[in-house]
Amino acid sequence: MIEVKNLTYSYGKDKQALHGLNFTVQDGEIFGFLGPNGAGKSTTQKILTGILKGHGGKVSLLGQDISTAHTQSFFQKIGVLFEYPYLYANLSAVDNLKYFSSFYPKAQLRDVNELLEELEFKRDFLKKPVSSYSKGMRQRVSMARALISNPKLLFLDEPTSGLDPTGAVLFRRIIEQERRKGTTVFLTTHNMLDADLLCDRVAFLSGGNIVALDTPRNLKEQNSSKRIVITYLHQRKREERTLDASELETGIPFLHDEILSIHSQEPTLEDMFIRYTGKGLS
Amino acid sequence: MKSFCSLFKKDLKLLVSGKFFLMSIGFLFLYTLYVNLGYVRIMDAGIYNVYLYDPVGTQKTISPSVHKISTKEEFDGALLNDTNSVGIDVGTGEPELVFYRGAEGMDRHRADYASALMYPSESLHAEVIGCNTPEQKARKEITCELLFFEIAAVGFLGIASVLFKEKGMGVIRVHAVLPIRRNLFLLSKLTVFLLSDLVFAVLLTALNVGLADMAAILPAVLLQTMILSVIMALTGLICALLLKDFRQFTLLYLLITIFAATPVFMAANTTVKPEWIRYHPFYHIYMGLKNAYFGMPVDNLLYYAGCMAAIMALFAGAWYVFHREVEKEG
Repeated sequence: MIEVKNLTYSYGKDKQALHGLNFTVQDGEIFGFLGPNGAGKSTTQKILTGILKGHGGKVSLLGQDISTAHTQSFFQKIGVLFEYPYLYANLSAVDNLKYFSSFYPKAQLRDVNELLEELEFKRDFLKKPVSSYSKGMRQRVSMARALISNPKLLFLDEPTSGLDPTGAVLFRRIIEQERRKGTTVFLTTHNMLDADLLCDRVAFLSGGNIVALDTPRNLKEQNSSKRIVITYLHQRKREERTLDASELETGIPFLHDEILSIHSQEPTLEDMFIRYTGKGLS
Repeated sequence: MKSFCSLFKKDLKLLVSGKFFLMSIGFLFLYTLYVNLGYVRIMDAGIYNVYLYDPVGTQKTISPSVHKISTKEEFDGALLNDTNSVGIDVGTGEPELVFYRGAEGMDRHRADYASALMYPSESLHAEVIGCNTPEQKARKEITCELLFFEIAAVGFLGIASVLFKEKGMGVIRVHAVLPIRRNLFLLSKLTVFLLSDLVFAVLLTALNVGLADMAAILPAVLLQTMILSVIMALTGLICALLLKDFRQFTLLYLLITIFAATPVFMAANTTVKPEWIRYHPFYHIYMGLKNAYFGMPVDNLLYYAGCMAAIMALFAGAWYVFHREVEKEG
């Protein structure tokens, strides 16, 4: 679906943003593109969506070289959710979606009302102007805009930003549904929970280079200390002990009355992010 | 075509929701009141009186419009009371023109008029440059000025306000990933504003020049309106895309008004006509519009070639800054 070979890009002569990226995204895969601010995520996404031109290296999308792919038929196949909910504030959700969908062939469009219902959009606001919506509602309309054309390739930039936990769960469910339909998803995010729960593979980007690329599980396992923390009661006293995982093969090797909790010391994706990129999440 | 219609409909909605139409209708109403109740009456002044003091009767072929005065005291009194008038004193034998000094161009005009009245009408071969009544002339002049002002200043603000709105909402960037040709985004805006300017020109001309006179001059007026409208709309687009906010735009607008429009109005309507004004593009466009109102449309191909080149250059500029805006970070 996406094939990137030695992708480079410079803003001016001295400001190289991308230093030869290599990755592929398979059909129906959710691919996470993670990195700190200024790492080159947006630049990459802009190149892939045809907004930025003048890159080096080879990029093909939907089986076509990107330099020749940016035709109307290419844009009919992709859906883009921007980091901010860009909508006409004077128009209602329905009017916004009708306007944006008017550029696609009717046969590929989804029903506006059904889509908004799926996104749990409040019905009372359907015909009110976007200017009266909360951030979460705007994000729902933006997501609907990205999905309305049934895209084969979906670019999502911080999809759960501005959503409450229920909204975030809903969006993750919708993204999963898209994957089940066969849609390929290119997910750019800072939200490690989204990346961990959704992505088949993630790439960590730092300083314009991909510093790690694998499944979230592999990344965590490869960097795991394989130690386990056990909290237990012994002679009415609460105690905690850290063991190597291998020590548990023959059972719990110490006296105890009651086990209170067992925690593996596997690193989180956020730990991996910090480890690979050298920067915390902002 | 379908994409263009969608864009056009959306731009029209934005225009209406921005109260632009209300503002234009308000201006149309104000201009019409000003022309019909103010300007035409102010300009309805009589021709200068010409007084002749010729005690010996040397002047034989004078026009009946000349007022003969028999004494020098009466002659001086008439000039003192009627300060716009021109006196011809032949008391010394040689005719001398006497009048209160005003603007240089106007004084020359008064002197020429008074001198012309001293010759028999059949000996003068005046070139007829128009057959408008003074009222028609005044109406056409002021309508032309108001139309030029409306398009150059008000319309320019209109397109900028619409674009700043879209820029603020970030929706320009969404259009970069839609299956449309990007130039349609600019073309639809130009079409909306061009149509609105053309409708305004027709209404303003009909209400202030009159339907009878309008029929003959309308095609030429609309052509000049179209040129000015497209140039101003493209300039507005470029400025709105380049500048950060409406406040910065207002400052630029003031500069344009002061340095671009003011010298043109001065050169076209007063005796202040600097040498360099012929290099001022707006002067030529204004004169093109004025000539169209007076039934003498510009037939100079160089003028149209220049306008076309300016439009193409501005469109290329708008195209470039539009792409730059689209590529910006969110």
